[in-house]
Amino acid sequence: MSSMCGTTAPTRQLKSDMSTDRQSQIRRTPTLSQPGWRRNLKIHAIRIFIVGGFFLLWEVASGRWIEAFLISSPSKIWKAFLQAFQSGELINNTWVTFQEIGIGFPIGALTGIWTGYIFGRSKALADIFEPIIIALYGVPRTALAPLFIVWLGIGIWSKVGVVFILVFFLNFFNTYAGMKQLDQEFVDLARLMGANRWRLSFRVILPAVSPYIITGFKTSIPFSVIGAITGEFIAATEGLGYYIRAAAGVFRTADVFVGIAVLMFIVILMNKVADLIERRVLRWQTQTESVQVQG
Amino acid sequence: MGYRNESPAAPVNNLSDYVIQVENVSKTFQTSDDDKVGALENVSLDIRHGEFVTVVGPSGCGKSTLIKLIAGLVGLSAGRIICQGEEVRGLNTKVGYVPQESKLFPWLTVEENVAFGLDSKPYSKQERKERVRHFIQLAGLAGFEKRYPSQLSGGMAKRASIVRALAYDPTVILMDEPFGPLDAQTRMILQDELLKIWEQKRQTIIFVTHDLVEAVALADRVIVMTHRPGRIRDVITVPMTRPRNIFEIHRQAGFDEAHARLWNIFRHELNVRDNGANPAAEE
Repeated sequence: MSSMCGTTAPTRQLKSDMSTDRQSQIRRTPTLSQPGWRRNLKIHAIRIFIVGGFFLLWEVASGRWIEAFLISSPSKIWKAFLQAFQSGELINNTWVTFQEIGIGFPIGALTGIWTGYIFGRSKALADIFEPIIIALYGVPRTALAPLFIVWLGIGIWSKVGVVFILVFFLNFFNTYAGMKQLDQEFVDLARLMGANRWRLSFRVILPAVSPYIITGFKTSIPFSVIGAITGEFIAATEGLGYYIRAAAGVFRTADVFVGIAVLMFIVILMNKVADLIERRVLRWQTQTESVQVQG
Repeated sequence: MGYRNESPAAPVNNLSDYVIQVENVSKTFQTSDDDKVGALENVSLDIRHGEFVTVVGPSGCGKSTLIKLIAGLVGLSAGRIICQGEEVRGLNTKVGYVPQESKLFPWLTVEENVAFGLDSKPYSKQERKERVRHFIQLAGLAGFEKRYPSQLSGGMAKRASIVRALAYDPTVILMDEPFGPLDAQTRMILQDELLKIWEQKRQTIIFVTHDLVEAVALADRVIVMTHRPGRIRDVITVPMTRPRNIFEIHRQAGFDEAHARLWNIFRHELNVRDNGANPAAEE
């Protein structure tokens, strides 16, 4: 699971490295520069070669150098995937986890952003609640998962709760941090120009804070998946977490990897959507500032 | 010592002629529980419609505070400010404000920035579009409408910032050292452009600066302020004709006398500070 959390940052890093590389190369040797697509192709080819090599090594190692029940093998995982897919088991479990995230994530993100905004606007509220929220932030939030099971049962709502709490705090803290950095002069100017409350919020304050909001939003994506899976590990009768745990319990390692692969896919999908939103919201920025409050 | 200056030509009785009246205004800032810093003390000032007034003074004399008070961004400690016959309480939306840095909204395009102040005014869609186009043209930013501020040069951003304040037709434009951080050439070009724009619109401008040449070159009247707590030391009427040529301002009749007068006051002001005759000046 820790590898999943890391997926966003390194790929972004790589992307930006590539583009700067390309630009500097074009500038340095204009005659020798390759067309963009050809260079892209090369990069893709190398990447496929590395990943393919890894799978090949895995396949060869399985059962020869390392016990097959420990690491399974790509071919067995593929077979397990087809089987689970055809039986409908995989789709059902994925759908359950997807629902938990699909409900908990947007609600958590929106309420987190909203609370961060409200606290940033009202000094009284911030003074009252800030210490409380920081104290709550100190609690490892996954440790709250058993409580949610007690409160909300072993169905999807307890997992929605865990997802919500993880996502809420990340969005809240990033938005609130942004609100503290807000340049008061922008607010003053907008009000002098006659902006009403609505315009002030949506045309000035939220856009000003949007780099922070986006950071919180993107950081919370893998954590929403962690939340759902943690909840399902503890007590569930369905969902990908349940599926993974059940498979691991009887050493069906291939099925464990199938579950993990699907989770990876969900995170990648969510990141793609977040990237689209980011590009739309932050298109005015030449460079995304790296602002972050880690969770 | 309330210092109310009316230049000789002013029709003293006709109050409606004044767009801004500052009456015995003082402002103190609470720095800690029982420590107060006087920023302004008993300042009185009347500004006529269409006047270009510059405010000069040593740094920390409260000249920025004065225009923030007129804008209603800061509350005053004593006295009152009247804008177009109405006392300023809270934010004064009759003014346009050009801050020290350009402070264009970086998430809006040049066009959207210039249009920002128009949205709360009763312009028709067509009128609004026309005004935006006109002011972008005026600022020499045609072709840059869809750019974001991060894609503009410092001078362009400054011009956009100025027409943003002009576009929605506020009665008074307040400028807080808008050309301060720019290099000498850009500064002169922008001063020239500001005067050209102003000569078309003739909106009232209150322009804060610490540059004596700039103060004289732009203004009808120069308000000279003392060091903290800020008082009005003197008001100089600049006799130069308009339109003025910023690039050869030294050759224009009237510049030298006005500048010399201003410098005399200023030098005296600096001396006073050096002698420590003004205890409040020792920070």
